[in-house]
Amino acid sequence: MIRGSQVWAAIALFAGIISVGVAVALYRWVQRRDPGSERAQEVASWIREGARTYLRRLYGALTLVALAMGFIIAMVFTFDIEHLGTQAVTLAPGRGVAMAVAFIGGAICSAIAGYMGMSIAVEANVRSATAAQESLGQAFQVAFYAGSVMGLAMVGLAIIGMSSIYLLTSDPEIVLGFSFGASALALLAKAGGGIYTKTADIAADLVGKVEIGIPEDDPRNPAVVADNVGDNVGDVAGMGADVFDSYVASTVAAMLLGASLFAADPAAQMRHVIFPLMLCTAGIVASLIGIRFVRVDQGGSPGRALNSGTIITCGIFAVLTTALVLLGGYSLGLLWATLAGLITGVVIGFTSDYYTSARFRPVVETARVSSSGAAINIITGFSYGLVSIVPSIVGIVLATLLSFYLTELSGISGVYGVGISAVGMLSISGMIVSSDAYGPIVDNARGIAEMAGMSQQVIDRTDVLDAAGNTAKAITKGFAISAAALTVLTLFAAYAEVVGARGIELVISLRDPVVVAGVLLGAVAPPLFSALTMLSVTDNAFDMIEEVRRQFEERPGILAGTESPDYAACVALAARGALSSLVWPAFLAIALPLLIGFVLGPEALGGFLGGSIFTGVIFALLMSNAGGLWDNAKKHIESGRFGGPGSDAHRASIVGDTVGDPFKDTAGPSLNTLITVMSLVSSLFAPIIAAFHLF
Amino acid sequence: MSRDVHLYLSLIPEALIASMLTPEEFGVYYAVGTAKKARGQAMFLEIDPSFRHDYFRVDKGMQRCVLHDDGEPKRSVYISVYRVLEHVALDAVQRLYLVTQDGRVMGLDAEAAPSDEPTGLHLYQEIAPVHPRVVSSLGPVSFYELIVKSPSIIWRLPAVCFAELRLGELAKDPAHGQVGDLPYSRVEHLRQCLTQLSTKTVDAKMVNRTEPATFPYRTLESGIFLGNRVNLLFFPFPTLEELRADHYRWWRSARSA
Repeated sequence: MIRGSQVWAAIALFAGIISVGVAVALYRWVQRRDPGSERAQEVASWIREGARTYLRRLYGALTLVALAMGFIIAMVFTFDIEHLGTQAVTLAPGRGVAMAVAFIGGAICSAIAGYMGMSIAVEANVRSATAAQESLGQAFQVAFYAGSVMGLAMVGLAIIGMSSIYLLTSDPEIVLGFSFGASALALLAKAGGGIYTKTADIAADLVGKVEIGIPEDDPRNPAVVADNVGDNVGDVAGMGADVFDSYVASTVAAMLLGASLFAADPAAQMRHVIFPLMLCTAGIVASLIGIRFVRVDQGGSPGRALNSGTIITCGIFAVLTTALVLLGGYSLGLLWATLAGLITGVVIGFTSDYYTSARFRPVVETARVSSSGAAINIITGFSYGLVSIVPSIVGIVLATLLSFYLTELSGISGVYGVGISAVGMLSISGMIVSSDAYGPIVDNARGIAEMAGMSQQVIDRTDVLDAAGNTAKAITKGFAISAAALTVLTLFAAYAEVVGARGIELVISLRDPVVVAGVLLGAVAPPLFSALTMLSVTDNAFDMIEEVRRQFEERPGILAGTESPDYAACVALAARGALSSLVWPAFLAIALPLLIGFVLGPEALGGFLGGSIFTGVIFALLMSNAGGLWDNAKKHIESGRFGGPGSDAHRASIVGDTVGDPFKDTAGPSLNTLITVMSLVSSLFAPIIAAFHLF
Repeated sequence: MSRDVHLYLSLIPEALIASMLTPEEFGVYYAVGTAKKARGQAMFLEIDPSFRHDYFRVDKGMQRCVLHDDGEPKRSVYISVYRVLEHVALDAVQRLYLVTQDGRVMGLDAEAAPSDEPTGLHLYQEIAPVHPRVVSSLGPVSFYELIVKSPSIIWRLPAVCFAELRLGELAKDPAHGQVGDLPYSRVEHLRQCLTQLSTKTVDAKMVNRTEPATFPYRTLESGIFLGNRVNLLFFPFPTLEELRADHYRWWRSARSA
């Protein structure tokens, strides 16, 4: 059976290579499309250069961080942690180096996936706009295939990394290092991208649209290129890194649980360690097939095409999983757990759509009451945001309970079933991320069409594509947050198992004041992280607003259309602001759990994780959904309802949308990465914390 | 390089201006391009440069309209402000230009005013010389005759420029009609004013006496009317199809205001 697990790891590795290979083929296919007129290419080149410059700076800074952390990890794990404090310390440099290499490998794979996705996004935007001159279907195909580059590269690199490490070491704990590397980079990429994109967006809107009155994406706005760059670094590279980290973390957590819960039977242990990788393989195959079905024919709808692709991928994945379970002789409980996770993920994603789409009551009602002013708009949107938490939490509860008890009923540890449900939810990430990355590409395509002076028909077509992208984005956010919630619940169980393996029975009781302290400190971490990132946005936006105003004031020719704005100044401001804002959020994510663990002990750290998971999930759902709701309430009014543009309702909705911008694109989506990173740090350092703590 | 001197009648505020800029350049300059930081939506008429009236010192103004030392054209020489419209003969009016707040310019040609249709209520935004917002049961031509030519009211305007704005469903059903995309403030008050037109024996009722002269262009119904006691000009607003096909940039800018 051990040999069988190696075979499956090799199959997973092969699937990963195929996935990356298809991503590269799609990359080249997109590159061969017509890049359009000289003017369109010029506009696209501003965005491309801005995005690449930012990512180069970000990854340059992160390389130093990754190397420093890799060195620390190598030092720490060189010690034979298992027996620290109980007998003479022995050194295991091979293990330390392996862990450090895995960590750096995770960071590199995450960076490559993000860079690859973003590189093609900034090539595809102009090609999609150009293809829109021919037809809606062609423009859609270019954008979606470019999004698929991100989706397939992400899952491919993730599984290549995990399966390679497992093939080389047969130790899931080393794979945990890979996951930590991916998550650490994801946190900084997501938070940095979120700060960047909203800094530019708010500055472009407040000065350009509100103060001056120029339309969206108008080339006279000095912040317009930074705004479009932000779409790429935040929504493509950032979101890709975010799902990459959840995808890896859920798989690794389930592998770790398989290793510890089935430790008594080595054959069963290997089978259950490898099962998460088998699910990932099935997910990749399903995504590769599902992507082929996503197309828009004459008169077709992009939104329907994306949804169909997701549903078809789910169906194929369900069939493949059933075959794997039945042919592999696995317990049926694992099949039910996988399907519970998969269905819950999709349902939660579509629930997010309900709360953020103008087709449903929450957005329409928020738009309607906006005529009473900004305060009522904000109160209503915030309230619906709070309500939107409920279905997702109920979904997570159902997935947890169903997977736990159905697995228990089949004679396997329920905790492992919960881990498998998280993997099931994330296994179709290839398809989900493809749909998500499509969004910013068509958003950019619309901007380029506008800035390059393309025809009204092209702009109308890119508008249609953009609307579908917004829905896909909302669905992915709900999906990513819910998946992260299940992932961290699994990581929490893995943490308890790792601590338990060191002889400490983790009893997390609310009657223990140390645990209560941990819970409260954990609960405060996500709000504090949100505040830090959002204050960074307001601080940086303030600087950029002044820059945009300065350019308009000092150079009247910009508005008159006789001279070009200084786009680079805004791009540089946004990049500098975003990077310098990452220090404290990073410290909070990595140092705080260690501080709690070493000072208050493993039980308090368990409480800390519990507290952070609960408030993290709630804040993430609230902020993402409320922000999306305010955004679409404004768009609903702009489409000619409740007074339309220029009305009192519109002015109020602009305030709500601006409040919601850092909610939905900076703090909200970064929180799931925060709680994943904190859980991974805790799991990784659990053996050391178990050996050394003050209380 | 010599440049022609143009004569423009700004409606917001009312002023007669000589300029070396073409109408499109003048629109951009007037809305956004000034170093004095004065900016905003603008409406102006292009006047025949040969127009003269004893009330204005047009020749003196045109003489001062010369190139700057650096060769830049003279952008504006104010010949007169206040009570301009009433002293300009309408046969000297060439085109009306609507400028969005970010400087997109669209020119409209005058044509004969259409006869009033008998149905529905109307909303008028007076632009010059005063700018209240008024509802009326009268069509545009009858409304013009009421406030400029009618001997039956105590006061009369010497000349007027006003726009007919959209009322949507409120034109037929002021009490219950859907507001839709009408961006007007205090809609309930507007409904009351419209309702009172049918319950009281008045032809027109003021909705707001302190309304700004500017308004979202997308709310224009039929177009803009310019009349004095002699003549009435009508500048029809293009249809939605014409706006999308021929004036896309202007229309996009106008819609976002």
